[in-house]
Amino acid sequence: MSRPAATHPVLDPTLAPPFPQAVLPVLRNPQLRKNVAHAIDVIQAKRASLVAEKTDWQELRSAASAIRTHALENLGTYLEQFETRCTAAGGTVHWAADAAQARQIILDLLRQEKASEVIKIKTMTSAEIQLNPFLEANGVHAFETDLAEIILQLGEGEPSHIVVPALHVNRSQVREIFARTMGLKDLSDDPKVLTNAARTYLRKKFLTIPTAISGANFLIAETGGVVVVESEGNGRMCLTLPQTMITLAGIEKVLPRFQELEVMLQLLARSATGERMNPYTSIWTGVTPGDGPQKFHVVLLDNGRSSILARSKHRQTLKCIRCAACMNTCPVYRQTGGHAYGSVYPGPIGAILTPQLMQMHHAQSLPYASSLCGACYEVCPVKINIPEVLLELRAEVIDQERNQPGRALDPMYWGLRIANVLFSRAWIFHTAQWFGRIGLGLFTRKDGWIHSLPSVGGKWTQTRDLRGLPNQTFHSWWASRGPQSNGVELIGGTK
Amino acid sequence: MSAIVQSRKMILDRVRAAIQHPGKDLADAAVEYSALPHNYTRRGSLSTAARLQLLIDRLREYDAEVLECNAGELPAVIAAQLAASGRHTFVAPARLPADWLAPGYEWRLDHGLNTAEIEEAEGVVTAASCAVADSGTIVIHHTAAEGRRVLTLLPDWHLCILRASQVVEVLPEYFDRCRQQPNSHSSEEDLSMVTPALATYISGPSATADIEMTRIKGVHGPRFLHVILVREQG
Repeated sequence: MSRPAATHPVLDPTLAPPFPQAVLPVLRNPQLRKNVAHAIDVIQAKRASLVAEKTDWQELRSAASAIRTHALENLGTYLEQFETRCTAAGGTVHWAADAAQARQIILDLLRQEKASEVIKIKTMTSAEIQLNPFLEANGVHAFETDLAEIILQLGEGEPSHIVVPALHVNRSQVREIFARTMGLKDLSDDPKVLTNAARTYLRKKFLTIPTAISGANFLIAETGGVVVVESEGNGRMCLTLPQTMITLAGIEKVLPRFQELEVMLQLLARSATGERMNPYTSIWTGVTPGDGPQKFHVVLLDNGRSSILARSKHRQTLKCIRCAACMNTCPVYRQTGGHAYGSVYPGPIGAILTPQLMQMHHAQSLPYASSLCGACYEVCPVKINIPEVLLELRAEVIDQERNQPGRALDPMYWGLRIANVLFSRAWIFHTAQWFGRIGLGLFTRKDGWIHSLPSVGGKWTQTRDLRGLPNQTFHSWWASRGPQSNGVELIGGTK
Repeated sequence: MSAIVQSRKMILDRVRAAIQHPGKDLADAAVEYSALPHNYTRRGSLSTAARLQLLIDRLREYDAEVLECNAGELPAVIAAQLAASGRHTFVAPARLPADWLAPGYEWRLDHGLNTAEIEEAEGVVTAASCAVADSGTIVIHHTAAEGRRVLTLLPDWHLCILRASQVVEVLPEYFDRCRQQPNSHSSEEDLSMVTPALATYISGPSATADIEMTRIKGVHGPRFLHVILVREQG
């Protein structure tokens, strides 16, 4: 099979426009910005109060960080142990080097089951490999069962958040989508009524469709168990009622032991949704006779992850447990929402994960989609130093640009080359200042401000003003004061 | 399938090459693992009464209905709960204690019920393996008195019976109980506390906040959760 039909062009990093360009339609959409800000304010307030009551929060973070680092540093060992245990418990483990291989493995499994329909638990990993459009093109319709995913699937929208994917859609928009696609003319926009409509719509699908696809929050090497964390119960339905279950999981999801869940579950729910614990956590191990699916497959996905693992500073990216706390706290995400990131993984974690999954061939604008304020690092439950990785990636983007042949045509390149000379000797700098004062003087208004500059300078002045150069520099002022003054007097008058 | 077999080797090779010391095996990993910091709260500090009250408060925050009783009163309390529910048809795990099956109702014991028979039932009554007070979590290991997963999923009304000795204060205490190897003195309930192959942790009824972050109770799982907490002595 070739690449799937591009029904998700916005969130395909290979096709998405650069962040500064992608962000413009969002910034002009006040309704969208209002929806995003509202949702984030609610989650943030809940998270803050529940984290504050947890007196051992920092110790939990340290433990989680150490566990995830250890798991990644022994990933081969733990993946093999997981495979052994899962297989012994009646599961089948498949290995997919890239997205195309994962899609093909899943399609082949569905064909073995003669499935024309499949029910799905929300999984960002399946969105990463663009599974749904591929299955659709090959005659298998995937029904999303998470409420937010239904809203997006029926409304043909794109996820903008990894925990609350439809947070950019408000209740009247949901009402419109459900009324149109479910044929419910008299539907009100009460969230309770809308949720009930989804319950009714899905109940029959749960009871009749015998094949399901899930993601995984954690894989447990010690037991071969798989963990899915959810709120609605659609996950339990998909994990319990079908005859065949296919779980798609990134190779980084492995935890060494069952007991690690005592750390991860405490951190995940508080960080993700601001709850002490999510309503439902399901753990299953292979196949249990008489209970749940009797055929169980796990597809372990690499798709760029092993190349991230190879670089010691970048490796921490893979510690992520997908709680979304970083995007909820990010001042950039708050203004832009998720779509501008052009990836199913938005926000600060997306800004470091997406370009790396693309092996730096795409999404090079994302490491710049940050103010480097560090709020993401502070909230991260597994202590991923996102700003550190952002800086590493920015350096790599610069290295790429250095090697581009068209670089000599970029005025910014020449500007910085010239600046390099100007700053190298004091006398050159002072001369340049003298010329600069004359040059900038042409653009300086009476109020002392420059409102508009041509060429490269316009990149600054299109969004902010620049103060004109003063008539005297600090240097010349200092020299003009003569020998009677010295620093000691200036600072404190220590007589 | 050969492409897939190659992928396995390729991924494992890449993963091993990515990390500096490729010769490490499970035993080395275990040594390294034992040195990891676990300085978070591993033991609760509340008295038994306060611990049970915390659980009750947390469950009530989730809109679960909670009753307390002594062991001797349990059958009568179950009967009263069933009566108050206004429901008639109930499913139950095959090995639910016989005196929990209050007379006057249609009981469908799960000796291999099909999905339709479970879906038609108006409620379910089960035991549990553990409860965590701090987060209001009920732990089900799907033993013979807790039932298959589908049993506590399809019926809209779930009555869960917990013994006070099953209540721990913080989550790590539950995981510690799972690590304790059963011995000859273990009762049947204690045996359920090994590392489970199947487990469901329930923290309040099914819920969503996907529409404008408004919390809505009851999407797919049971919408009504009732808990009876049985005090051991007396």
